[in-house]
Amino acid sequence: MSHGLHLNGVDFSYDASRILAGIDLSVPAGQFVTLLGASGSGKSTLLRLVAGLQFPQQGKLVWDGKPITGPGLERGVVFQDYALFPWLSVVDNIAIAIGKARPATRKAERRAESKDYLRKVGLEAAIGKYPFELSGGMRQRAAIARALALGSPLLLMDEPFGALDPVNRARLQDLLLEIWEAATPKKTIVFVTHDVDEALYLGDRVVILGSTPGRVIADLPVEFPRHRDRRALFDSDAFHHLRESIAETLAADTLRQLIAA
Amino acid sequence: MSETLALDHPEAQVAPARSGHTGATWSARLGNLFEASLIWLVLLGGWFLAAEFTPLGDNPLVPSPQLTLRSLWESLPELWVGTLSSFSILLPGFALASVLGIVSGLGIGTSPRLQRVFFPFARVAAPVPPTVYIPYAIAILPTFKLSAIFVVFIGAFWPIFQNAAAGAHALEQRYRDNASILGLTGFEYHWRVVFPAALPHIFSGMAVGLGFSFILLTVAELFGANAGLGRFVQYYADFADYPKMVAGILYTGLVTFLAMTGLEALKRRALFWQR
Repeated sequence: MSHGLHLNGVDFSYDASRILAGIDLSVPAGQFVTLLGASGSGKSTLLRLVAGLQFPQQGKLVWDGKPITGPGLERGVVFQDYALFPWLSVVDNIAIAIGKARPATRKAERRAESKDYLRKVGLEAAIGKYPFELSGGMRQRAAIARALALGSPLLLMDEPFGALDPVNRARLQDLLLEIWEAATPKKTIVFVTHDVDEALYLGDRVVILGSTPGRVIADLPVEFPRHRDRRALFDSDAFHHLRESIAETLAADTLRQLIAA
Repeated sequence: MSETLALDHPEAQVAPARSGHTGATWSARLGNLFEASLIWLVLLGGWFLAAEFTPLGDNPLVPSPQLTLRSLWESLPELWVGTLSSFSILLPGFALASVLGIVSGLGIGTSPRLQRVFFPFARVAAPVPPTVYIPYAIAILPTFKLSAIFVVFIGAFWPIFQNAAAGAHALEQRYRDNASILGLTGFEYHWRVVFPAALPHIFSGMAVGLGFSFILLTVAELFGANAGLGRFVQYYADFADYPKMVAGILYTGLVTFLAMTGLEALKRRALFWQR
């Protein structure tokens, strides 16, 4: 019970409006969880609470047996966009993370290591460049490289591919899975998205948040075997059934909201 | 800031329409050059005609362009000494104002508590015209030079401080989040995140501060300097040597323009990462 991420009765309000209500969620170490929900379901807020960027009015958040009281290097974050400092070169953006994670390393080592991470995400071409010289997809690759460089066992990803075109989005999904599957021990990943296909392709488990206030309305295992083949998976009946039932859950929540409003 | 940019690069607004064909580049450039120098040519022509062909030319207050140019040429050694003297006041004052203004602005701009302490004071102290300090500074400080440096410092400090504080205060949430995630705090946070993010603001403040520095410098020199740009103009006005006086005005304008251009070039270099 102590390993992994545990949320207990988490309530969060902002300006008198309730964003999250009584969130209970346990993520065992090494699991890839996707958080799915309409906009306004508080899924990004939930991620910010786990990151320690904001604090709940009620409830407990625990990572690896320790309560979350602020940001920590054991919890890496990849935001949707602007994850990099534009005034630092791509290499230095990653080197600064390495410097914080492993202060004993020397400057030259950090830069060498950050180039290794860039190669790992297929960004040899970005060595020596600045963020403004990169496309959106390349910037997100660099952001992933930085999160990996931190060496955090827990990776929080807030719609990291949300602003990308479909081709780049698919490529980065594959890259993320490849990296995650290759590592031992596996990182725990909480991945926020509003794209059902993305949630199912990536996750071991899909947690669906309902809107206003955000709360868990469904928690489904995704039991497709790993080393998933995108095309075969998207064509399978099992995938379609799961996809349909999730779409129905989301539609029902939207309808409930409309009736309430 | 956008207004200054538009003033600096009026051609930027018409460039897309003209830069399409390489064949048109030369004539487009000539056209731009003509447009940029039009007001100068009109003023110079008007001045020449007025001095040569109207009764104004008989007035010693209106020296002809040729006479002024000759005075400028003859005064160059003296103006050069004056420039060095002026810059030995301007540079220390402006540099000190920049360093202290940026450091305190960034520190205070990121701390709500320090803002509560300093802003009520700054709101009253900043708008005081720095020229009113000149007689007192001269009385209190041991040398004229020190008092002039002090006055230049005061004049340049407030706009730099205010802009640095505003830039730090306006730091975007995404940069703050990123800094928190990476565990950047204290000096490291200010040096690697707040300072670069606030640079556009800081440069605006420095441009205003540099303008004030020149105003205060030349005003201070009227009080007690024995050399300098403002002193040169005042000195020859006292002797009714108007060709030299006008030459001094033109020269001071050129020096100010060059200093502003230098700062602008520095800004473009430092902010290369902005799209």
